[in-house]
Amino acid sequence: MFDHEALIKLHRARANLIANIILLLFSLVLARLWYLQVYKGKQLLNYSLQNRLRREEIEAPRGMFFDRNGSLIVNNVPRFDAAVIPQYLQNKKETIRKLAEILEMPEDAVYKAMAKKSNIASYKSVVVKKNISRKEVAIIETQNDELPGVAVEMVVSREYVDREVGAHLLGYISEISSSQLPRYRSRDNFDYKLGDFIGQSGLEQQLDRIIRGQNGYEFVEVDAMGRRKIRVKSEDDFFKEIKSKPAIPGPNVMLTIDRDMQLSAFNALQGREGAAVAVDVNTGEILTMVSVPSFDPSSFSKGLSNNYWGVLSNDPRRPLRDRVIQEHYSPGSTFKPLVAVAALEEGEAEEKGEIGCTGQFPMGRKVFHCWKKHGHGSVDIYRSIRESCDTFYYRLGKRMDINTIAHYVKSMGLGHKTGIALPREVAGLMPDREWKKKRNGEDWMLGETLSCVIGQSYVLATPLQLALAYAVIANGGKLYRPYVVKRIFTNSGKTIKTFSPELLSKVNLSPRTVQIVQEALRQVVNDPKGTAYYYGHGRGIALAGKTGTAQVIKMSAEKLFAKCEETEYKYRHHGLFIGYAPYDDPKIAVAAIVEHGCHGASAATPVVVDIVATYLKKFYPELHQKYLQEEKSKGILFRAVPTIDSSKLQEEDEDTVLLEDEDAGHGGSSSTSQNLIDGVLGNKKLTPTLPVPGINSSVREEDDDQQNENGGD
Amino acid sequence: MVESNLPSKYAYALRRYDFSFFGTMIVIFIIGILNLYSATHATNDKALLDLYKTQAIWFCISIVVGVSISFIRPKTFFRYSYVVYGINVILLVLVLLIGVKVLGAKRWLDLGVLRLQPSEMMKISIVLVLARWYSKFNPEVDVGLKEMIIPGILALVPAVLVIVEPDLGTGLVLLLIFFIITFYRRLKWKTIILLVILGIATSGVMYKFGLKEYQRQRVITFLDPWGDAQGYGYNAIQSEIAIGSGQLFGKGFKKSSQASLSYLPENHTDFVFSIFNEEHGLFGSLVLITMYVVLIMRFIWLATSVVNFYDAVVSIGLMSIFFWHTFINMSMVTGLLPIVGIPLPLMSYGGSSLLTFGICCGIATSISNSRNLF
Repeated sequence: MFDHEALIKLHRARANLIANIILLLFSLVLARLWYLQVYKGKQLLNYSLQNRLRREEIEAPRGMFFDRNGSLIVNNVPRFDAAVIPQYLQNKKETIRKLAEILEMPEDAVYKAMAKKSNIASYKSVVVKKNISRKEVAIIETQNDELPGVAVEMVVSREYVDREVGAHLLGYISEISSSQLPRYRSRDNFDYKLGDFIGQSGLEQQLDRIIRGQNGYEFVEVDAMGRRKIRVKSEDDFFKEIKSKPAIPGPNVMLTIDRDMQLSAFNALQGREGAAVAVDVNTGEILTMVSVPSFDPSSFSKGLSNNYWGVLSNDPRRPLRDRVIQEHYSPGSTFKPLVAVAALEEGEAEEKGEIGCTGQFPMGRKVFHCWKKHGHGSVDIYRSIRESCDTFYYRLGKRMDINTIAHYVKSMGLGHKTGIALPREVAGLMPDREWKKKRNGEDWMLGETLSCVIGQSYVLATPLQLALAYAVIANGGKLYRPYVVKRIFTNSGKTIKTFSPELLSKVNLSPRTVQIVQEALRQVVNDPKGTAYYYGHGRGIALAGKTGTAQVIKMSAEKLFAKCEETEYKYRHHGLFIGYAPYDDPKIAVAAIVEHGCHGASAATPVVVDIVATYLKKFYPELHQKYLQEEKSKGILFRAVPTIDSSKLQEEDEDTVLLEDEDAGHGGSSSTSQNLIDGVLGNKKLTPTLPVPGINSSVREEDDDQQNENGGD
Repeated sequence: MVESNLPSKYAYALRRYDFSFFGTMIVIFIIGILNLYSATHATNDKALLDLYKTQAIWFCISIVVGVSISFIRPKTFFRYSYVVYGINVILLVLVLLIGVKVLGAKRWLDLGVLRLQPSEMMKISIVLVLARWYSKFNPEVDVGLKEMIIPGILALVPAVLVIVEPDLGTGLVLLLIFFIITFYRRLKWKTIILLVILGIATSGVMYKFGLKEYQRQRVITFLDPWGDAQGYGYNAIQSEIAIGSGQLFGKGFKKSSQASLSYLPENHTDFVFSIFNEEHGLFGSLVLITMYVVLIMRFIWLATSVVNFYDAVVSIGLMSIFFWHTFINMSMVTGLLPIVGIPLPLMSYGGSSLLTFGICCGIATSISNSRNLF
């Protein structure tokens, strides 16, 4: 083929050239070695002998959070940690004994902390106790000479001004875990290090990269004991060109939240389990977002106790979960106005049309019950909302296709994520035929529509979704993306980014539909027969809204009509109230849920009333006065402390009824909302968690553990 | 007849066996393992204390594998060049798909018993495949841009796969190997100038858009070691202090203060040369560099004395693997190049890198022996 010898000969010149270049390059390396070892040798030897130059990281303070009026809600405060530097520790035993004495902690704990970090370089400090008191700092500093290798380190820690209030929204920060480290490194393309604090939930997580700022560093010289020395700069200083880099603090964040409304929502909910959210109906700005039970985010960044997270995550009340966006509930009767909108738009219901409610609605072999055992009598659309008549909606459900209802409900924001920029939002669920078919291969059944129209069965929504849907009713058909960040700005006040309302979709609702439903919702609170009149009137807030009760478990008819307060706590119904105010010029929509609160009116309405009252008093005091005067002139006065008269409650509040127990075997929906929550929230497959129709499922325990996907990692 | 012939045949083979590659390799390794022991003996970390033992075991494995390979005829390498290359590329793709992620980089394939690092083997595969292409495709014509297209693709595909792992250092080494082989294959000077201009332009673009934050940081660190934010500058400075403090004759075996006080991180992998310099000074490294140069020159000499052109190109390619690792590592610890994480052959800790160099020597020995053995 080829003459190999000739070829090799041809290429010999290149081989020689390569050899020469290589020799040249290695000479370069030798020259560099000569420069370092001979020319600079003495100097560098000196440095190696007293190599005490340390590069110390300066942590950049995270951006602070302000509420919409500029009042500080998340701040940075200094904190002091006691640390030892193993390399400089002299007569270890004695020093550690002294240190443990000062810190009032067992010696074992000090050794334990050191053993934990034994694999890191010995010149690096090991924190033995976080957040020590000023007094302890003073003692350690003054006894410096007797404590070689002991140091006090200052760290910037995060202070949440209102502690538990709105903790879910604000989130918390903690050290990046070793399992997060590789994941986040590739996700963010950022060189995280163990020990870095990162946002683990809420806004702290969402805005982490933005508000973190840039760490700086400085070079400090330390003496043989590891203590800082003042560096003397001289001519022959090898480090004379050394530069420190100041930390750049993270930009601050102004939220759309109002601190006073947060506080009143939190106070109204305190001691219960539930959530409240208020959204500006014309912008989508979130004014209040509170979930209880809560936690103290400061404790995480202070590092007070390692098992704080453990305690929280094992709490059956699930305090780490943000019930506003991470939990979804059966909306119960608060769903009815949405169905009414669909029916009015489709011409299936008219303003004048009346039906008779006998308390029972036969469907095939089953009987659906109205919450009012003996019926409402003649019911029109106003009364169906005002007094929450189930039968009216059973009738609509029979006439309308579930897909039609789903279309309207989804366009009002249910059944899909709202798109709020916060982590771990759940989508809720608005079922339709395709969904059911896909889920377990079965066809949709009419009975299921009847359960859905009263907000039970498969229908699930987060409080935020419900607030948005009511905002759509209040503003005449505009669905906004909810948002919590108004503005991001630097310490010097320069605005980096301003956020403005984003219209997601415009629902085509006829003005007549809006008018009818708005009037009905007004009557709920302002008509003496309305379900929320007792708790919502006379406060000068012009509230409109709807109460709702969501069953936690399936119950027999007999149990359903029993008094909720007498059942075991965990089986009690959830109480909901969704509304907006003022009814003649809607400004905010508010949703509140009180878990196991039994009744929407008594449990959730006062929460909404408090939030709206705070809002009007603060932002529209003259409007508030006007409404107060109006109600006064009509003789409507709010009784400051309503006495709870359970017989009256039974009448004023409503319950929704699914099926009678004996009928459950004949198909139809028999799933409980709790099961669905499991299915949708957990990563489990949906099918196995749902009870098979035909088998009468007994009372189910809540399966809490499966749902706990929040925080910590 | 045959039986009586055997002993003498083996004796003949043994007499003609080229020990020069493995011989040099063993000498450098002995220096390396003593240095490794010295660099890690002072630590209180148990895992580090036993490193030199692991290294010795890996070296034995590498010698066994290398010697076994030296008995394969060069013709066989030639025949399977494409197959080996093809399998290796598939493995690289698999790494990206199902590889094990360690500290943000997917570089390993988990085979249950052991972890495979296909990017290491790719260094050899790329040499074989390029040698086959260049020795078969118009070997008497000088290489211009047109002739570079196919081999260019052969080199770029694995290089890109490795860079996205991400392992920028190894990816660049693959491209540098390609460059030396092509240069040997009489790359036109005109084309070289063009490539240099193109390279400068693309590196600018790469720096802006192609590099990850930490990689960019390393480049910044190199240009301004006192002003970095990630701590790499600290390494560079400490490395220079270690080297400089060794002066002419060094502080002596096991006397490195930089290493024992942990000022120098990763002193058992990328920074072994700094420790060696601290302990043995300029004269020590003069000896060590001479050893490396001898080994490298032995490869080049082999390329000029073989009978088959394919063998010549392979020799140059294997030489370039040794050369680039040695040169880049020494340059980065002395501050001539940015710190990219390239190990020093036979000195740095690491099993798969030892294995690579063992195989290199095995192939070279096979080529050398083939001149008179087979």
